[in-house]
Amino acid sequence: MDLYVILRRNGWPTGADLQAAAARSTRVGNEEMSDDVRWIRSYVLDEGDGAVGTVCIYEATSPEALREHATRAGLPADEVISVLDTVLVRPDPVSAPA
Amino acid sequence: MTSPDHGALLERSAQLALFAERLAAVRRDRRGRLVLVSGEAGIGKTALLRAFCDAPLPVRVLWGGCDALHTPRALGPFVDIAEQTGGELAAVLAQGAAPTEVAVALASELRRTPAVLVLEDLHWADEATLDVIRLLARRMLQAPALVLATSRTDQLGSAHPLRLALGELPADAVERVALAPLSLAAVEQLADATDVDAAELHRSTAGNPFFVSEVLATEGGDVPETVRDAVLARAARLDDDARAVLEAVAVEPSRVELWLLEALVEDVRAGLDACLGSGMLVSERSTVGFRHEIARVVIEEALPPSRRALLARRALDALTAAIGRRPDLARLAHHAEAADDAGAVLHFATAAGERAAALGSHREAAAQLERAVRYSASLPRAQRAHLLERFAYECYLTDRMGDSSDARLLALEEHRTSGDRVREGDCHRWLSRLAWFAGENGRADSEAQLAIDLLQPLGPRRELAMAYSNMAQLRMLTADEAGAVSWGNRAIAMAEELGELEILAHALNNVGTAEMRVDVPGGFEKLQRSLAIAVEHDLQEHVARAFTNLASAPLDHRDYARSGPYLDAGIAYCLQRDLDAWTLYMVGYRARGELDQGQWETAEASAREVLDLGRAPSPTHVAPLVVTGRLLARRGEDGVWAALDEALDIAAGAGEIQRVGLVANARAEARWLAGDDDAIQVETAAALALALMRDERWIAGELFLWRRRAGNPEQPAPGTVAEPFALELAGDADGAAAAWSAIGCPYEAALALAHSSSEQSQRRALAELQRLGARPAAARVARRLRESGARDVRKGPRSSTRENPGGLTARELEVLVLVAEGLRNAEIAARLFASERTVAHHVSAILRKLGVASRGQASAEAARLGIVER
Repeated sequence: MDLYVILRRNGWPTGADLQAAAARSTRVGNEEMSDDVRWIRSYVLDEGDGAVGTVCIYEATSPEALREHATRAGLPADEVISVLDTVLVRPDPVSAPA
Repeated sequence: MTSPDHGALLERSAQLALFAERLAAVRRDRRGRLVLVSGEAGIGKTALLRAFCDAPLPVRVLWGGCDALHTPRALGPFVDIAEQTGGELAAVLAQGAAPTEVAVALASELRRTPAVLVLEDLHWADEATLDVIRLLARRMLQAPALVLATSRTDQLGSAHPLRLALGELPADAVERVALAPLSLAAVEQLADATDVDAAELHRSTAGNPFFVSEVLATEGGDVPETVRDAVLARAARLDDDARAVLEAVAVEPSRVELWLLEALVEDVRAGLDACLGSGMLVSERSTVGFRHEIARVVIEEALPPSRRALLARRALDALTAAIGRRPDLARLAHHAEAADDAGAVLHFATAAGERAAALGSHREAAAQLERAVRYSASLPRAQRAHLLERFAYECYLTDRMGDSSDARLLALEEHRTSGDRVREGDCHRWLSRLAWFAGENGRADSEAQLAIDLLQPLGPRRELAMAYSNMAQLRMLTADEAGAVSWGNRAIAMAEELGELEILAHALNNVGTAEMRVDVPGGFEKLQRSLAIAVEHDLQEHVARAFTNLASAPLDHRDYARSGPYLDAGIAYCLQRDLDAWTLYMVGYRARGELDQGQWETAEASAREVLDLGRAPSPTHVAPLVVTGRLLARRGEDGVWAALDEALDIAAGAGEIQRVGLVANARAEARWLAGDDDAIQVETAAALALALMRDERWIAGELFLWRRRAGNPEQPAPGTVAEPFALELAGDADGAAAAWSAIGCPYEAALALAHSSSEQSQRRALAELQRLGARPAAARVARRLRESGARDVRKGPRSSTRENPGGLTARELEVLVLVAEGLRNAEIAARLFASERTVAHHVSAILRKLGVASRGQASAEAARLGIVER
């Protein structure tokens, strides 16, 4: 599988909507397309007025698999970009603990 | 239940009126109150509270509940409440603060503006939650809050920590409301518009409102035999989409977030509305849940295992990938186990256990770690051993000594296989400690020796120093002072060399206590040094232990001037830090000192303070039981043997001379006071042999004395008994009396005087015993005087207790008069120069003796008995 970045700009009017979408996405990814897509991580974007979007990092067999996954889970996918190389300078800052 | 299909609540208007009245009182007095609503599952506790809170209230409502996870979320209800209040409370909870800080934040939140605080399902509460409630109780009087708590009666045993927590509130600020099942008339009213046979419905549901509403909701003709059948019949009427939603919600013991539901079922919208419409599910703030926990359990248990596991898998994946705030670890551990995912169980259950331990919820910590242990077969040896040892430690803290021992043995096996001699030795040291708790002193000794044998060849290290100190503690506890000193000194030397301060504090305590017992100079200084180290490094348990031994060793030798200040300081220290086990232990000791010094009323109050808490019997109870038994015997009241038999049961288990001797002497005295001299030899024989072997001169002396008073002429060997006893046993009763007076023990002095050969001394003894209220002893002395031909021996005033019809003591009478005047405990305390706590004890004794439930009824009874004017 290759690595991709998916842009989902202005995807959801509220954080709760994104939460529900993420839950659907997990189920579809794990149960229906586990051979084709693998969710690695996401960055949640502040789009103003409470709206959110995401930049997602996925492994996938093809860009088409990612678009199929987005359709089934009801997610937008503005752009799917193939990743050439990964440069890890520092680990992601850890988000606040529960 | 406020079932949407059946409208208003029936037969609950008295309770609603009571809540309203209590809320008005809270607002008027700006003083907190608590009402505990109890009843079986489905009786309508939640429905009652909802009905009260849904009506317009003049104050805000804060709602928190405990959930039915096998191992509950730590501080669950307060997390719920913080979501409603925000502010400081939310901040401290987000930081994972300890129960003390949570209670302080909540109390200041409640002081801000009046509130109704609902705490639901406390029978499921975790320890940290109960700690907060207990700490809150101490602060609640100043907060204008009406706390409405619910609990299932059938799950609240007498030793439940909730009872302990409620014990912190003055009796007049706590009320219990038990909900009764619906009457036949109410069931008839509910079934009125249906074709269900109301009598049959009432019989098969026993008037349980939830069961009734489930049956009526199915609209079928037949009444199902069980509530389970009723729930399943109702669910069977839903379509597939709705059933899918119902099943998904059932796997989550608390409420399910709507977003999470998206991960659990394919088409939420299609099924959810039907579930809500049927009334089986209710929605609240972007979550859904069952209207009643009974229904949730029924639906969950009816799920096929594969479906159950799939839903748990989905929940686990979605919660793990949740955006923003991390979900509660206990919740993740629960789903991980339901999904049978070993890796996830190990990860989340271990983390949840550590978090619970850090919050002081040690029972939940033990349960989570136990869950991880069940899945630990695949772990590398060292890791598995570490997990087992963590589990063993949490069990040790929560009095699960058998499980702790089993886990240590498994860990020992892992260490032995992987050749880790240090850990292996440390496990033996732990097994020694655990064996001692189990009363197996022989095994405690052999395990302690095994630990030393294994560790010694490996050279100086903390595990070896601890093994030495453990041996010293064992020797000290079994009153082998020489052994304690010799092992303890090795521990001290090594701990100093290694800079291990905690072990140093432990070892200095063992050696110092042993030396003090046998009056070796320097023992006192060692204990003081142990205290100083512990205070400086905030080793709280060691501070408490140092205070306890500094106070108890001189008290065992009747040196009250030396013991008193340490007792006071120790109790204050432990109270402030909620080290309750130690506080109670020291209060028990204080009761003994008060009794010895003739302060019978305060001794009675101190003893009751420990015994009233309703915890399972433990060594802490021995001293207060002995004080209670002796007081009852000395006053000629009932209940002596109940107290002294319980004390004997506890003391016999441990077999330590300090406790065995204490109990044997109390029982000998009670026999003597009852004129049952023949029984004294049997009561004292074993304890005397042990006391002589251990060179416990104060205990041996008293035992000899009771035997002598019962007519046994045996003479102790020189130097084996303490001075006041030696004097009387040598025939110098007047000298003994003088010695007792100098020490400050008036009752002992009077009894010694009574055994003088001089009639004048005996008359003085009689007067003193009458003054103390020691009726049976006075009677015995009076009889002796008359038998030896003395004249004009007055029987003395009958004990005041016998004179008034309520059987109240003089002090209780005083309190009752003030209660009848309408004074509160604080005002009574001020009038009588007593503490509020003591007054509260008197008031509960008065209510008990008069057989009444309230202060108002007590006042009426006082008037009826002619104690106060009408």
